[in-house]
Amino acid sequence: MHDLYIQAVTSEEPGSETPATARERLKPLFPPGSARRMTHLGMLMGAVLSPLSPCEDDAIVYLSQFGESRTLEAYLDSFPTASPLQFQTSIHPSGVQQLFIGRHMPVGQFYPMAGDRQLVAQGLLTAALTGASRTLLCGGEERGSWLLECDCASSETFAFAVALTSERGEGAALGKIRLERGPLEEGLSLRAWARLLHARSAYSGPSGSGWRLTLEWF
Amino acid sequence: MAGRVAIRAQPVLGSGGGDSVPLALLPGRLLDEELLPAWLPALGAMAARAGLEGWGWGRRPVIITSSNFGVGSLYAHRHGDKDPRHLEHGTPTSSVELVRGSLGWGPDITVISHACVSAHLGLLQASRRIAAGVADEVLVFSYDFLSPFVTGGFHALKILNEGFPAPYQVRETGSIALGDGAAFAVLTAARGDFQLIAQNVFNEHHHFTANDPSGSGFHRVLQGIVPALQGRRVWLKGHGTGTLEAGRLEAEAFATLFPDSPLVGWKGSLGHTLGSCGLVELAIVAQSMRTGRAPGTVGTRAPCFTSNVATEPFALGAADAAICAGNAFGGAHAVLALSHA
Repeated sequence: MHDLYIQAVTSEEPGSETPATARERLKPLFPPGSARRMTHLGMLMGAVLSPLSPCEDDAIVYLSQFGESRTLEAYLDSFPTASPLQFQTSIHPSGVQQLFIGRHMPVGQFYPMAGDRQLVAQGLLTAALTGASRTLLCGGEERGSWLLECDCASSETFAFAVALTSERGEGAALGKIRLERGPLEEGLSLRAWARLLHARSAYSGPSGSGWRLTLEWF
Repeated sequence: MAGRVAIRAQPVLGSGGGDSVPLALLPGRLLDEELLPAWLPALGAMAARAGLEGWGWGRRPVIITSSNFGVGSLYAHRHGDKDPRHLEHGTPTSSVELVRGSLGWGPDITVISHACVSAHLGLLQASRRIAAGVADEVLVFSYDFLSPFVTGGFHALKILNEGFPAPYQVRETGSIALGDGAAFAVLTAARGDFQLIAQNVFNEHHHFTANDPSGSGFHRVLQGIVPALQGRRVWLKGHGTGTLEAGRLEAEAFATLFPDSPLVGWKGSLGHTLGSCGLVELAIVAQSMRTGRAPGTVGTRAPCFTSNVATEPFALGAADAAICAGNAFGGAHAVLALSHA
């Protein structure tokens, strides 16, 4: 059984906002030099992580089923003259790395993860075992274009970040997550998990891979 | 182990042509992805040889690591024969599901993708789950197979060029090679021939494709395991892709912290097996420790960045542990130390 306390939570639920509109809205959050090179998902992840004031001692766990879908599309379409910039930002951990590289901010532990119905449980388990005094569990997706038509990208755009500690602490913890062994049932999707955090809704049920998840808010 | 060179000059975009670059593909496999990926039977054969059955259930979870997964299938759909069936295993999730289903594993699968340190992270997570009592044993399974997607990308970065890699060698132009790779490790608490005695990670975040010129990232990750190695004699298996700046920084960090230890890198033979290189090369480290003799830095000749680079095979002698290092885009670093149990 693993208990994690929620110290802070941030989310992005931009609905049908286009990537171009999102860029205009979010670019003031980043240094001009780095904002120009950031991807849509990179900006969303930066927007949810920045308010948590990440530091070198934080462990970062990043969850995304599809990762940089739009950059992947653009990179694939750049052939036969492949784009080096789109290649390097199409890799899975790029969505989070863009924020930290823009700030030249090192972090000790960074765990980028993928997957489907096991992703939330496995991400929480990874977060519970970092040994760091604070772990930032974050994730997100961006709506694809032609990859979405092929069912190879998310149909919705969202992002979240939650600051977790193993002790409740003296501050005003917002909630508690308990992960314990449970039956083999289909688990929460990343989208459903993000909605729970955004709405601060409670949950008690299967979380995939034989894990049961309880989310409560104080 | 024999120090042979597997890489061959081949068109960078496969049937799409382009410059000749050094690649190491599975025997008979083409760079262009097929409808059912041609690498899948090779994974099945590896798993069958090792008896990897019954994983992915209860206290025997699987951690799959890769940087490429099935992205070659996306490329084949967009630029190859455009058959939509390629898309059935083009995402990380669908590629893992293809492998999981093919090997008959259960649903308890964790997927980690941190570019070229992916396998190292899988090993670290497996260690933690065993230490925490969450699992009795963990299978860490890694696969990366080349496609024009990744060869085209590294070619665009100009480090995959016509030259063959010479890791840690002082030369005018840096060159890497890429290779197909798959490997696995079973981690347990109670049995085994080898022991992971230290692991560490660090992410410098200086630049996507360049390291902090001070070499701080290489030093920081290595310094984290120094206390666990007190009193041991170690040898060093570096990342050593064949790029000049990263190779120099890595060699200098090793020479500073472990000045009496020989350093080797094997990507001049195998090519860079990307997210799987941490496990592929760990298998060679383990075999070297069984036989008492390690391959040298294949493809490299003096002069080298530091005097401890071993260009020829050498006897491990009194060395009782090996340090294995890897790094990746974004200045990600990972390291482990392996000893006999």
